[in-house]
Amino acid sequence: MNLILDPERWSPLTLVTTWQALGRGLVLTLQVAAGAALLSLVFGALLALLRLSRVGAVHYPAVLLIELVRALPVLFIIFATYFTALHYKLNLPIWVASAAGLTIYTSAVVAEIVRAGITSIEVGQVEAARALGLSYAAMMRFVILPQALHRMVPPLVSQLITLLKDTSLASIIGLTELLTQGHNIYTYYGDPLQILITVAVIYFVINFTLSRLSRRLETARRQREPRIAIAPRETEAAA
Amino acid sequence: MRAVQDNLPLLLAGLRVTLLLAVASLALALAVGTFVGVVRVLPLPIIPGFGAAYVEFFRNTPLLVQMFIWFFGLPGVGISLPPFLAAVVALGIYTSAFVAEVVRAGIQAIGRGQLDAARSLGLTYLQTMRFVVLPQAFAITVPPLGNLAIALAKNTSIASAIAVGDLLYQGEVVNAQTFATYQVFTTVALLYLVITIPMSFGVNYLERRLVAYRR
Repeated sequence: MNLILDPERWSPLTLVTTWQALGRGLVLTLQVAAGAALLSLVFGALLALLRLSRVGAVHYPAVLLIELVRALPVLFIIFATYFTALHYKLNLPIWVASAAGLTIYTSAVVAEIVRAGITSIEVGQVEAARALGLSYAAMMRFVILPQALHRMVPPLVSQLITLLKDTSLASIIGLTELLTQGHNIYTYYGDPLQILITVAVIYFVINFTLSRLSRRLETARRQREPRIAIAPRETEAAA
Repeated sequence: MRAVQDNLPLLLAGLRVTLLLAVASLALALAVGTFVGVVRVLPLPIIPGFGAAYVEFFRNTPLLVQMFIWFFGLPGVGISLPPFLAAVVALGIYTSAFVAEVVRAGIQAIGRGQLDAARSLGLTYLQTMRFVVLPQAFAITVPPLGNLAIALAKNTSIASAIAVGDLLYQGEVVNAQTFATYQVFTTVALLYLVITIPMSFGVNYLERRLVAYRR
């Protein structure tokens, strides 16, 4: 019978080897996501500062780069990175190519989140800092950034969830992450649905926990600092 | 550029499939997402909870995994979808979870006072909806829905993983045949930009107009 609840069809999930394989996949997924997340924070913050610069020669290239990357599909960027490396006979390990593609895309999105956070600080704050005689660096360090960072946390977490989901795309260029491990299991046992649902549930548990955590932080922040929220465009919806 | 010129018809066919995917799945996402969004604000027990579970499941799992479930998983329970249809369902259902959140936020943003004011002016329920609630909800939801449409247009590229002949898929085919990586991927990028950049200008325009309208 085609019953989805037939215990026989879930039997691969009773094997230790299945969970070992899924575990190895999950570890790789988390490693690639963590690497890409850290690099994207650094490059994203840098790009945001370049875009906020008043010097045209710095500002316009940053705008062009950010908007160009954000307008392209993340899977396209992963492919383009991977095939370009192949074309120039760069023997990048798959995980490096995957993390690089994900970092390029995520940096552009993070740049917009950071920029939105900084520009959301009221002009009055800047004026007050100036009136107190703070230097630009001191103003950034003690006035702007502490407030902006708080506001950036929810959109950054939501982008982290997107990034975790996007690591599954690296399975297409052969990264043996969670989805690939699931794929290998069901091509062996021949019953995709049960394994795919298991993989989906693993992603769900991680991402749902992250989003709950972020919401809790946000509620705590709202109680201290009501009414202000930044909502950078599109971050919630990327792949 | 010969590699691109010779294969341009193939890439343009891919562009056409990408556009078809985007339009069909956007229609599905708007229909299902609006329904789920309304369900989430119904003043009933339990039922809104199902809406919440739907939203949380579909937006917290990767689109590629969902697409695999629709395409490789469902045959296990006797339902086989052709690749294009599986891609439309996957893209549409995934995006509907995000649409539902936008619709819910739009409805909840209309203050209680607006309804009370409309009633005290003697407006009927339909007049309240037509002249008070819907114009405001529309102004609130259109820009985020536009951003979702852009994200959806980009996400259609994931259908290439189940061999739907979309733009990215055809780009890979041409690249594999010609090894002209640089030219092929630049062309594919330009064709994506032809779709996403006008959409992004459109959303920005609407955003400015609707902000002005709300004042």
